[in-house]
Amino acid sequence: MELKKNPGSFRDPAGQIYNYNGRVIRIVKNFGKERYEFLKKSGIINDSINKGFLINTKDVTEEFESQKTEKNCYFLEHEKLDYISYPYEWNFYQLKSAALHHLDFQIFLIDKDFVMIDSTAYNIQFINYKPIFIDILSLDKYREGDYWVGHSQFLQQFLNPLLLRSVKGIQFNEWYKGNLDGIKTSELNDILSFKDKLSFNIFFSVVLLSKFEKKNKLNPKKALKKLQNKKSLSKNSYKSMLVQLKNWINKLEPLKKKTEWDNYSSINTYQKEEEQKKLKIVNEFSKKFKPKILADIGCNDGVYSFESLKAGTKKVVGFDIDINSIERAYKNSVNNNLNFIPIYFNAMNQSSQIGWNESERLSFNNRNNFDAMIALAFEHHLTLANNIPLDDAISWLMKIAPVGLIEFVDKKDETVKKILSLKGDIFPDYNIENFEKSILMNGKIINKTPISNTRTLYEFKKN
Amino acid sequence: MKKIILVSIILNIFFTKSAFAYLDPGTGSIILQALLGAIAAAASYCAFYWNKVKNFFKKIFKKKEKTE
Repeated sequence: MELKKNPGSFRDPAGQIYNYNGRVIRIVKNFGKERYEFLKKSGIINDSINKGFLINTKDVTEEFESQKTEKNCYFLEHEKLDYISYPYEWNFYQLKSAALHHLDFQIFLIDKDFVMIDSTAYNIQFINYKPIFIDILSLDKYREGDYWVGHSQFLQQFLNPLLLRSVKGIQFNEWYKGNLDGIKTSELNDILSFKDKLSFNIFFSVVLLSKFEKKNKLNPKKALKKLQNKKSLSKNSYKSMLVQLKNWINKLEPLKKKTEWDNYSSINTYQKEEEQKKLKIVNEFSKKFKPKILADIGCNDGVYSFESLKAGTKKVVGFDIDINSIERAYKNSVNNNLNFIPIYFNAMNQSSQIGWNESERLSFNNRNNFDAMIALAFEHHLTLANNIPLDDAISWLMKIAPVGLIEFVDKKDETVKKILSLKGDIFPDYNIENFEKSILMNGKIINKTPISNTRTLYEFKKN
Repeated sequence: MKKIILVSIILNIFFTKSAFAYLDPGTGSIILQALLGAIAAAASYCAFYWNKVKNFFKKIFKKKEKTE
């Protein structure tokens, strides 16, 4: 078996990630050899793992002895994560929790005379709702006087997106996906009002920083001169800056804007009885297959995801376009300690292959590793609200996992009537017969349960 | 020693960030950190003594409550 390089791991010359027979191996290169040896000897790696900051990592160089070269010095194995997600797919509370994790880790490190050499948000992943730092080679020795090299990056990738939502009520996800480095301080500054800028924290971290940046870009010689006269930063100042940022971020909350799904659980057209029926089917389905990882497409506030977990599914990744709903789902999963990862997901503009060489960040399709899926009250949003042909929509859904549940919603249903009220019925082929035909084109119908006069739940198995 | 630190900072700035910008935007961050770091350190220093003052008064009031 060959070590296959991860296309997203190339920035750090000190080491890169490889896939080896499904295992995650980091090769420490000659450039990072000395630093790794120092980190290992100091005990900081194990301390960070034991404190829950750093992903489980073990040195497996002995196993790879035959592959050792002058360039490839050490081989480390990281715990494999069930699902990789990116900051532009997270909700506000996930990004906030990732930001606090990063700062807590840095505070822990500086107390032990270590620093982080970058602040990329992509170095944080989620094991259920808990953030974990994944890049061991981001750690280095603290040298008296050091400035925080990743400061600007931290602001762009963590703070600014949070502020965008917290101060202006604008969801950061689409903007973040459009610029993978996060939200530029100067751009955020441009959309803040005079009143917004009166805040002490915003004034320093956004207004002043963007002013400095602008000035330095216009007059780089002067900036460099200024820099040469700068004193070094004391360790106390470094740490205080981290603590102050942490206290600030801790208080940030999203500026709430009501979305169309806010009252979903209370005033939807479902009857309680229908929900009970669906919960029972999800429960039985999950008990039958005991999925290791299940995708809940259109998870809303997670009621079916949680039922599936209750029935024995190990992990659920929930996808939904409504940010308020997935934030509620996330909070629920935190409160109940559930193995659930919510992902902001627009099926009409899914995460695609982006970044360097179109392969740095993986698409939704290329990350699919689900052994089961459910899509309840979802299909009609693709087909009727967004005009995806019925057979295309069903094929796409069935590609997600080998087995699953898909709910069919008839044209007579109240929600469908609402969707078509202004648009008119331009879908002559949308009916239950064609829905079944679409399933049969890709697999088998295992079960079919009427939920109401207008809704039917299908269990499918792919060919 | 200071010179080494300075050189290492400048090297860091030039070699770790985007190559497109004429001068790396990181310079703004360094200038700000010098300012912000000092303020944050002073604030944490003040907070430490402010807490001491608060605790002092809390103790007095607690004593009073007890005697009442």
